[in-house]
Amino acid sequence: MDTLVRQLSRPAVPVHGEDDEAYGNAAEWGSMGGYGNLSRTGAISGMTVPRVLDPISFLATHTDNLSTNPEAKIKLAHGTTCLAFKFRGGIIVAVDSRASAGSYIASGTVKKVIEINPYLLGTMAGGAADCQYWETYLGIRCRLYELRNKERISVAAASKILTNLVYQYKGMGLSMGTMIAGWDKTGPALFYVDSDGQRIKGNLFSVGSGSTFAYGVLDQGYSYDLSDEEAQDLGRRSIIAAGHRDGYSGNTCNLYHVRENGWEFIGNYDVSQEWYKYNEKEKKALEHAGKAGVQGGSPMAVEA
Amino acid sequence: MGSPMEYNGGSVVAMVGKDCVAIATDLRLGQQSIGVAYNFDKVVAVNDKLYYGLPGLATDVYSLREHLRFRVNMYRMKEEREITPKTFTHLVSSSLYEKRFGPWFIEPVVAGLPQPTELDPHPKPFISTMDTIGCITTPKDFAVAGTAADKLYGAAEGLWEPDLEPDDLFETISQTLLNAVDRDCLSGWGAIVHVITQDKVVTRRLRSRMD
Amino acid sequence: MGDCSFGITGKDFVILASDMNAGRGIIKMKSDENKIRALGPHLAMAYGGETGDTEQFTDYVERNMRLYHIRNHNALLPPAASAWIRRQLAQSLRSRKPYAVNLLLGGFDTTTSLPHLYWIDYLGTKADIPYAAHGFGMYVALSTMDKWWFEGMPKEKGVELLRKCINEVQSRIVVQFNFNCILIDADGVHQLDLSASDPIADLSRAPEKAEVEVPNPIIAAPA
Repeated sequence: MDTLVRQLSRPAVPVHGEDDEAYGNAAEWGSMGGYGNLSRTGAISGMTVPRVLDPISFLATHTDNLSTNPEAKIKLAHGTTCLAFKFRGGIIVAVDSRASAGSYIASGTVKKVIEINPYLLGTMAGGAADCQYWETYLGIRCRLYELRNKERISVAAASKILTNLVYQYKGMGLSMGTMIAGWDKTGPALFYVDSDGQRIKGNLFSVGSGSTFAYGVLDQGYSYDLSDEEAQDLGRRSIIAAGHRDGYSGNTCNLYHVRENGWEFIGNYDVSQEWYKYNEKEKKALEHAGKAGVQGGSPMAVEA
Repeated sequence: MGSPMEYNGGSVVAMVGKDCVAIATDLRLGQQSIGVAYNFDKVVAVNDKLYYGLPGLATDVYSLREHLRFRVNMYRMKEEREITPKTFTHLVSSSLYEKRFGPWFIEPVVAGLPQPTELDPHPKPFISTMDTIGCITTPKDFAVAGTAADKLYGAAEGLWEPDLEPDDLFETISQTLLNAVDRDCLSGWGAIVHVITQDKVVTRRLRSRMD
Repeated sequence: MGDCSFGITGKDFVILASDMNAGRGIIKMKSDENKIRALGPHLAMAYGGETGDTEQFTDYVERNMRLYHIRNHNALLPPAASAWIRRQLAQSLRSRKPYAVNLLLGGFDTTTSLPHLYWIDYLGTKADIPYAAHGFGMYVALSTMDKWWFEGMPKEKGVELLRKCINEVQSRIVVQFNFNCILIDADGVHQLDLSASDPIADLSRAPEKAEVEVPNPIIAAPA
């Protein structure tokens, strides 16, 4: 135990150590300073890593990032529902707002959509700190790209920066499942990036413990030709469905719409209130349809 | 599989008032994170002066409820009178201890109004709770159990006061339960409250958060 | 667990559907195994779980249901049957070798003309709910049912909802599934052919083709 404490309290092996002049130079703060472990040019000057022979296996024994290792002291919060899908009118991004620690609801007002810049959104699933930190850093890198190249970064390039970053730390307990959504000169684009280093382009994704429930509504109601209003409603309805069935998702739903001129925040909705509302409205409509006649209505159609 | 006490989720709380008691439960039945049903009533009436709640592993909730129904009916037939809250508590306790080496995963909560007798003409409202193997505690204020127990303690400590009238007791226990389960992933999905007084039992279903 | 089953109640019927995979480890040895068993004239269950246990337990249930029917000239009604089956699983749980069987019990109560559906897991947990799923279906299709199920559904809408659920597991779950399906109503247990465009119309046109072998044919009451 004592040796463990000593190991942890020591400065770990960094590319630059804590006693380096990088920390000591008082002139390097504010705009001249970096961002955490980043130098002012934006390059990573090294994340501190435990000073042991094999940091990957060391972290694997002490970090519980998939709730599979209850012995581990470092636990990462899990339980989220995020979704995003492309359609005729752009991209819809919807998330819940619950943060849980074990079965305790630590917060019901978490912002799980990270506004990287006016044209880019990132969603948060897995380690909240990991997502917040790296997506903020991604924002910096995107801004630097813009200044250097006099044009906005593509969503593909932005998501690639993120994958490359997290891939460097693969196996060390980073935990993030994120969607990067935005609009660039190729039009709307949506990528899924996770801490394993996977990066996939797609039209429809859902991430987190409640994602399966969100898919259950999203898939069956989805069509590329949805109107803006229908698409926003489908995104919101899918989060409500997941918030209802998944114990670790819920509280409120944040809804965003990405269009050609950037993203727009549509609103914040209480999951429980919306559930009661949908239940009343939908059941009435379905019962009415059921009585009127049973023909018509393909299984993939969104009901009015 | 994780702890059996947290597998299905659910919570129960009981409170003492002035010549009345109240007991309340949430309605969720889950399979770990997945909600399965929102009609799982964990509180059962023994008679119109005595209720009990069984939060814990759902299969044991059914089994223990069946066992207790049998035992109470046998008591009723043999004794030709209703069981008192105190006796019932000891019945539950010994039923639990019978399974000392392979326990029911349940922490029962009992709430009742004892009937006046010659020996005790002015009995006090009664609540009690037990651990999974039947160790009894009889608090003077409130009893909590289930996955939201720690949150219920916090809420009840802040809201409960002595000698609440039935209406105020209803408000207190409802607010306690709703606010506690709203901080618990595994409880909620509706709630039921029973307020027991000498002349009637008021049962209300609460509209609660459904996430 | 590689299983997947659904149950949906409606106005005057209950539908049960189950996947048809059977195998060992990563190998699928059969994709047309029937995992729904009729337990009486108006009772059936869709089951899944540990191979071996499933067969033994369903046989055990089926024969006890038949024994009750023979002894009493009346089949056990769905609520009573659910209580008995649950109890068997709960008792088995604390035995030397528990049955690892999850099931959906569907039945039609001929005395009240109401459909019943029970979600029961291997622990002996029972939920009395209008629509349910086991296995993979719980993850991806419970929300589908939450959205599209409604009180007093007609049969055609029930099949339509089941198709949505099957479509969802077939498109989202890595494992390939085939499904078979039965419907229980006042007339008994019927097979539904999901490959047909309108299985309900086929059923009413030719009910004899949809007959399911029921272990205990209705015994004439003594005069």
